[in-house]
Amino acid sequence: MDRMMSLQGFLRRLLNGRRWWPACAGLFTLLWVLVPGAQAHVEAGGAGSVMAGFLHPVTGLDHVVAMVAVGLWGAVLGAPAIWLLPVAFPMVMAFGALLGLLQLPLPGVELGIALSALVLGVLVMLQQRLPMAVAAIVVGVFALFHGYAHGVELPDGADALLFSLAFVVATGLLHLVGILLGEIRRWAWGPRVLQCTGAGIAVVGVWSLIQVGGA
Amino acid sequence: MPVLFAHLMETGFGGFYDGIAHLLITPVDLMLVIGLSVLAGQQGPAGGRLLLALLPMSWWLGGMAGQWLRFDTSLTALTTALLIVVGVLVALARRLKAAVLALLVVVAGLVFGLANGFTLPVAAGMSLDLLGVVSAVAVLVLLISGQVVVTQRSWLRIAQQVAGSWIAAAGVLALGLMLKG
Amino acid sequence: MLRRLVLPLLLVVALMLPRWANAHDLFPGFLELKATAASDYQVLWKLPLFKGQRLPIAPRFPDDCALQGGLDSQREARALVVRTQLQCKTPLEGRAISIDGLAAAGTEVLLRVQPWQSNTQQTLLIQPEQPSATVPTAAEAAEQPGVWSYLRLGIEHILLGVDHLLLLLGLVLIVCDGWMLLKTVSAFTLANSITLSVSAVGIVDVPAGPLNAAIALSILFMGTEVVRFLRGRTSFTLRHPWVLACGFGLLHGFGYARGLAELGLPHHELLLALLLFNVGIEIGQDIFVLLVLGLQRSFRQLQIRWPVWVQRMPAWTIGCAGAYWTIQTTLAMVTGGA
Repeated sequence: MDRMMSLQGFLRRLLNGRRWWPACAGLFTLLWVLVPGAQAHVEAGGAGSVMAGFLHPVTGLDHVVAMVAVGLWGAVLGAPAIWLLPVAFPMVMAFGALLGLLQLPLPGVELGIALSALVLGVLVMLQQRLPMAVAAIVVGVFALFHGYAHGVELPDGADALLFSLAFVVATGLLHLVGILLGEIRRWAWGPRVLQCTGAGIAVVGVWSLIQVGGA
Repeated sequence: MPVLFAHLMETGFGGFYDGIAHLLITPVDLMLVIGLSVLAGQQGPAGGRLLLALLPMSWWLGGMAGQWLRFDTSLTALTTALLIVVGVLVALARRLKAAVLALLVVVAGLVFGLANGFTLPVAAGMSLDLLGVVSAVAVLVLLISGQVVVTQRSWLRIAQQVAGSWIAAAGVLALGLMLKG
Repeated sequence: MLRRLVLPLLLVVALMLPRWANAHDLFPGFLELKATAASDYQVLWKLPLFKGQRLPIAPRFPDDCALQGGLDSQREARALVVRTQLQCKTPLEGRAISIDGLAAAGTEVLLRVQPWQSNTQQTLLIQPEQPSATVPTAAEAAEQPGVWSYLRLGIEHILLGVDHLLLLLGLVLIVCDGWMLLKTVSAFTLANSITLSVSAVGIVDVPAGPLNAAIALSILFMGTEVVRFLRGRTSFTLRHPWVLACGFGLLHGFGYARGLAELGLPHHELLLALLLFNVGIEIGQDIFVLLVLGLQRSFRQLQIRWPVWVQRMPAWTIGCAGAYWTIQTTLAMVTGGA
């Protein structure tokens, strides 16, 4: 118990004393190193298994980061966005995936995905609230892009529904992770950590943008 | 179109239990029953009673017709479309008119029953497999919609909507995969 | 008016019900192969009798096997026991043995093989859906103990044993509060475990005829108690349902044991098999009780108010089935047909 208190005290001193920037910098460096290794959606795995569907959304770092950012920003926005988001997002994303599967044209998908991480990261970093309608449009457009990108590369398989369900559940769980992470803002040092995380997400966005630009 | 979801489970406990197992391991059927149960539960006890009265009966009628017709299709596009409709309605958590709900339930029951009937083994006289499926449908409907009716906490209600959203999204994705494939 | 029509109709349905639901008439067959040389076997074949008639099933061995010597058959109460010798060119491990006519007979066969110079017996359950089984090789046998088929047999015995399920239904119906229900179900479980064990081990031997009649009578009694409960009356058993559960548990435990005893349990895996069979039975019972409780709860949640005749239907079903089985088993006992 004492040790817990001292740990909390240490963290508080660390964060309140303006000495949290080194921690942020460390996080950035870590991400910078990890990103290239984990980039790109996997191609492997047939649609036949639940595992393939479950792993598909969690293996591309840009996607994972954007989904967690959506949850985090939902937590920043508070009710009603925080509960509207996990309900509406999967359906919009699935619609985007339908467009992708049918090969309907949607311009600027790669750019949109890279931008999504950057924009959401900045919004989380600034703890920015927007009017409900604007927020819905922003998240909706990103959902569409992410869905489309997935739709284009989804493998064919026998058990389409099981694969799809696992896919959707994995995405939903990523949101949940973001929302739960967002709950740490209730602690005194929480907002700072959130801002750091937002900054990290924005960095991933910038990195993706560079990739898109380079390609 | 290939028969996608024809999991014919053999429990070794006879046709009745094979039927129960068939429902429990066929994702599209199970998701529809769960979705409809949540939807009916969201409408209050009257909705649950309506579902209990109509779904098993229409499922059974559809199944009988299916076993008699035995077409070599799985109606996958139709069942998935119904799944999407049900999922979206659950996600919206709107009050429906009783007549609309009844129509949806009867259509869903008949279509899914037909799809089951095409694949389930036919026995002379009454099919125990079909009886098992229908019994499992009735029991699931009762247990789930009963629980949904008494759920008061707001986050649990949102969880129900999220479940509906997942069902709809999975349906849309599956439909897309089918149209592509 | 409606009542006058519905009542006889229900009675007819309830009397028809046990015809396809009577689980006790079907016993599994039993085939034992003990190696006396590398590829020679001593065969024990227990062919179940159904209402005194032989079931039309027969084992089919690989083509290079031939039966040697005479058939020594002996008629027991519920089975025809055949002893003979089987000579093959190569050992049976890794090869298929099928049972002809199993799908039509709708029963199962328990196959037990003891390979040459081996103390471990391999037990396989052959079912109508897949009427053939491959004898595991020594390596396969080490991986998967065949004794697990007894767990499955236990679950199956209870899930298909409509008489036991009806008794359980009656017990759940006459108990109102949770604590009493726990006591009642525990008493039932404990009691039937005791008699199942002593009977399966062979300490007590209960003749089949009177036992069947007693079990049927217990269900009839249960039906009358449920009706009494629904009419708002009371009795000693309604005030102390656990006493009833204990008594009937003892009785039904003998019934469970018969499903097992006919298989002729081997002595070295007897306790494990017995335990697994018992656990299987408990799993089946608990699933059923939880299901009934869940459904009752859902009826309340959905505010379903059944008409009186529907409320009484479970009681009538129990009573009618009990009465039918009582008459049937008593007649069978008197005429010696069982």
